[in-house]
Amino acid sequence: MASFELICPAGTLAALRAAVDAGADSVYVGFRDETNARNFPGLNFSRKELAQGVAYAHARGKQVFVAINTYPTAGNAGAWHRAVDDAADNGADAVILADLGLLDYAARSRPKLRLHLSVQASAANPEAIGLYRDAFGVRRVVLPRVLTINDIAKLTSEIDIDTEVFVFGGMCPMAEGRCSLSSYATGRSPNRNGVCSPASHVRYETRGSKLVSRLGAFTINTFDEEEPAGYPTLCKGRFTTHDKASYLFEEPTSLNALHLLPDLKAAGVKALKIEGRQRGKAYIAEVVSACRLALDRFDRGLPYDATVLDRVTEGGKDTAGAYGRAWR
Amino acid sequence: MDDRANTRRPPERTPERTIETVVARLGLTLAQPLGGRLIQPVLDLMISTLARRHPDAFERMAELGEADLLVDPSDLPAAFLLHVGQKPSLRVVERSTVATARVRGAFAALLDLFEGRIDGDALFFSRDLTIEGDTELVVGMRNALDGEDFDIAEDFGSLFGPLARLPLRRPLTSLAGVLGNLHEVLLAPALRRLEQVERRLGRLEEGKR
Amino acid sequence: MTMKKAELTLGPVLFNWAPEVWRDFYFRIADEAPIETVVLGEVVCSKRTPFFAEQIPSVVERLQAAGKQVVLASPILATTERERDGVRELVSSAGDFLIEANDMGCVAQLGGRPHWIGPFVNVYNEATLAWLARRGAVSVSLAGELTEPALSALAAQATLLGCELEVQVFGRLPLAISVRCYHARAHGLHKDNCRYICNEDPDGLTVDTLDGEEFLSVNGLQTLSHTYVGLTHEIATLQGMGIRRLRLSPHTCDMVAVAALFRSLADGVLGAAEARAKVLEMVAPAKLSNGFFHDREGVIDTAAL
Repeated sequence: MASFELICPAGTLAALRAAVDAGADSVYVGFRDETNARNFPGLNFSRKELAQGVAYAHARGKQVFVAINTYPTAGNAGAWHRAVDDAADNGADAVILADLGLLDYAARSRPKLRLHLSVQASAANPEAIGLYRDAFGVRRVVLPRVLTINDIAKLTSEIDIDTEVFVFGGMCPMAEGRCSLSSYATGRSPNRNGVCSPASHVRYETRGSKLVSRLGAFTINTFDEEEPAGYPTLCKGRFTTHDKASYLFEEPTSLNALHLLPDLKAAGVKALKIEGRQRGKAYIAEVVSACRLALDRFDRGLPYDATVLDRVTEGGKDTAGAYGRAWR
Repeated sequence: MDDRANTRRPPERTPERTIETVVARLGLTLAQPLGGRLIQPVLDLMISTLARRHPDAFERMAELGEADLLVDPSDLPAAFLLHVGQKPSLRVVERSTVATARVRGAFAALLDLFEGRIDGDALFFSRDLTIEGDTELVVGMRNALDGEDFDIAEDFGSLFGPLARLPLRRPLTSLAGVLGNLHEVLLAPALRRLEQVERRLGRLEEGKR
Repeated sequence: MTMKKAELTLGPVLFNWAPEVWRDFYFRIADEAPIETVVLGEVVCSKRTPFFAEQIPSVVERLQAAGKQVVLASPILATTERERDGVRELVSSAGDFLIEANDMGCVAQLGGRPHWIGPFVNVYNEATLAWLARRGAVSVSLAGELTEPALSALAAQATLLGCELEVQVFGRLPLAISVRCYHARAHGLHKDNCRYICNEDPDGLTVDTLDGEEFLSVNGLQTLSHTYVGLTHEIATLQGMGIRRLRLSPHTCDMVAVAALFRSLADGVLGAAEARAKVLEMVAPAKLSNGFFHDREGVIDTAAL
């Protein structure tokens, strides 16, 4: 039996097909609106596309999850309710939710729908996770990227629902779903609008030989001519403290926990998730294939190459992030 | 810090892309003295063909609002201005043309990007692609295009069927190929009388003044 | 509709102050500040907790003797065994004190007993508010990024539920929490060997952009705005919605004066423009902001545009 279920991102139908073809066990997607945390221009699924994606995946024995993981706006929760209803009606295998009120709605109005707790809910201890299970029948929790492997092992031993953790992709140094840095600079936040450091507020400028990346009214980074660049995600910018410039919060890195497969298995993790619904299908195909190969070799007790994805990491760097204590 | 920095690696170039770049450069060089008169109908035809074959992508593009994206191949003599919105259009323009946003990179990389064969983020991180102006437009365009399986050989093959026999290794697999070959086709009947054509055009110009 | 009298709540001290400074701060609040409720507790970093533990009894006693309600805050993030034990102990030993829950793990442990919800639990809409109220939440302090229309819709629901709402009207706004210590990182230290260096910056460590513009403040694991929220012109609107509790977040400026100022403002004794000018003076050279309330970038001060 496979050690892990591989959960892959798709921002478009083409990416969903690429993910399934490359060896995803499940693909997670979002609708083309503010109900999901990757509400980017030109991205995500219409209802029709979801139905097509579900058909494609199901025909190949794979699953589709729908992320409805932003927080419904007060006085205007209709779009989120419709998203839950339409996900269920179009054959989604699970919905990934974060908001208490929306979980309550889904549990009551769609009792047969499988519920996963989004990383955006930031449920970081067994007590919190137990509450979501007891109150709403949540079957799986996507763990926040603030836990060490030891924390995860301890946590998994104390709860009786599946755990899913991120194995590769962009990473937040902050507890997800509890961050207003983006909206402080741009007025648009992951929780309310499904965007972090949105492209609408990003500008690249050339100053002499330097490339300057700006978010809203603020300079987030500058790059020398030959230096690898990064998207101006606020927490991956360069800032000054005590007159010294540094990547104070996080370097422009990607999470890569492939080398931790034995530890993640020992910790009782059920599913591994790849971040990146906003990435192109070429990237999806490459990352999913590489992870699939690594997982298959791991399952057969063979050595595998954990550095195979270094080429596609942001800024050409990767990190094990919070899984290792040294990150703190 | 335990991060492993990697050296920058330029994207791989296929022989096809190299040929296409050369052909496109030639095509644009040839087209320039003639202005847009010959090339514009071709570009119009290409856009309407794409719109017909990929309605979902064009629907996504329409959602981006009315905007102009300057696609600026750094290794070609001119740039393309893509207008998105209700009536999309493509024009050959000077690379100094003012637009809502500009994407600049090697023509081959831009073609790979168009066909979704390469990761745009990685190209940007490695500085092989530069972006100016409205970043949201660029990201939106990338997403709209990436959601479709564009394949220039298939998309335009039916338009220029006979050209598929031309002795290029992958003659119609790219915009470049199409552009280059189209010049031959369009000019073919006129090539012998090129001088006449130019004289006629010249007279028309004078007539306008 | 008769408007209930506004109440001032003093949020927990977010920064790493010296224990005796911390104690004396609360003594003075007890003796002099026109504040109804004081929320106590180390919510940012569990490593700091032992420093304040021995001061807590005397502070609680002094505050209660002065007629202030004391509410005990749970940590924002509880991931380690020790941090979880801390929350368990807080819940089991709180006795008659109300607890302000700052994460869902604490909410879970409170069972159905009456409690407050702190600004670090995501309450963005009526359904969430109703769910929490059904589980015993009697007062909810809302997150700083909520806009006026959202606050208004939540306030209408709160009235139906008989639940109080609270909004932060003064102080740097908490924007993010992490398990990584940015104070230690800024000093080239590791969290496990941090030397409690965050005690150097009692209002947070200023984070500038590369252009030298003041942008954020770092407080150990927490990131705050560099601007101070100053909802002077918005208080009348908040009161009109039925939002009765106004939260002041402690800083090293004269918090008794800040409390007196917001008291007068809420009572209609002091005008908003005059209040704003005084608050601006108190936080200088930092600036004020109210952008979130007006559905703008949080950093913006609409009164200064």
